[in-house]
Amino acid sequence: MDAPALLAFDIRGIIACQRNRYPVLLIDRVDGVMPGKSARGYKHFTYNEWFFPGHFDDEPNVPGFVQLETLTQTFIMTFLCLPEYQGMKTNFVTANNVKFKRKIVPGELLIVDATLQSFKRGLAMGAASSTVNGELACSAEFVVAVPDILNKYKPKT
Amino acid sequence: MNSHEKYDATFIDAFLVDQKALAGLKYQDIASWDSVGHMRLMAALEEAFGIELDIDDIIDFSSYEVGKVTLSKYGVTFEGA
Repeated sequence: MDAPALLAFDIRGIIACQRNRYPVLLIDRVDGVMPGKSARGYKHFTYNEWFFPGHFDDEPNVPGFVQLETLTQTFIMTFLCLPEYQGMKTNFVTANNVKFKRKIVPGELLIVDATLQSFKRGLAMGAASSTVNGELACSAEFVVAVPDILNKYKPKT
Repeated sequence: MNSHEKYDATFIDAFLVDQKALAGLKYQDIASWDSVGHMRLMAALEEAFGIELDIDDIIDFSSYEVGKVTLSKYGVTFEGA
């Protein structure tokens, strides 16, 4: 039996799936997507990014919160690519074991690999890691909520 | 571990509360039993008891005591509790 076809999303496809927009949409392309399981995201950092002049003017490099966001935005594509969840907003619940291993500078391509470990009743759990030229840049474990789903299961108060 | 001990242990693990805090505990009585904590508790109970809770039962699961009644619908018994 043939393996299921992997999905790919250009920037328009990403925008259709998730609600992040400029200046906080921080992935350019996603491919190798196994819906409900995994995704690979790509982010090309150029000096035109809004944060480089401030971080830092004499030594531009990608801030940690931006790196974490690239991981998360790739991670949420693992389930927001599913038709029933497309376009829903997401919230951080936890980010654990966050590690920054490498400075990322203008001109570098970040590749993010994300895995969804479980998705149940609006709570997604999983992990992601990023590399530049094969070198580990950042990694983290996440719990992300989809409020539109989660709220359907809340006890009435 | 009997059902009662398993039920209590699941609450204690999910919300990091003492055993003595469980009686009378209701949704949103403590910070950890918020909407996210509720989903974690439901998932933990499903795993602990090998059941799958219906959406209406998840919504009705508003307290420690109500939860026992809910689980009894899934064949979980709390004799001697």
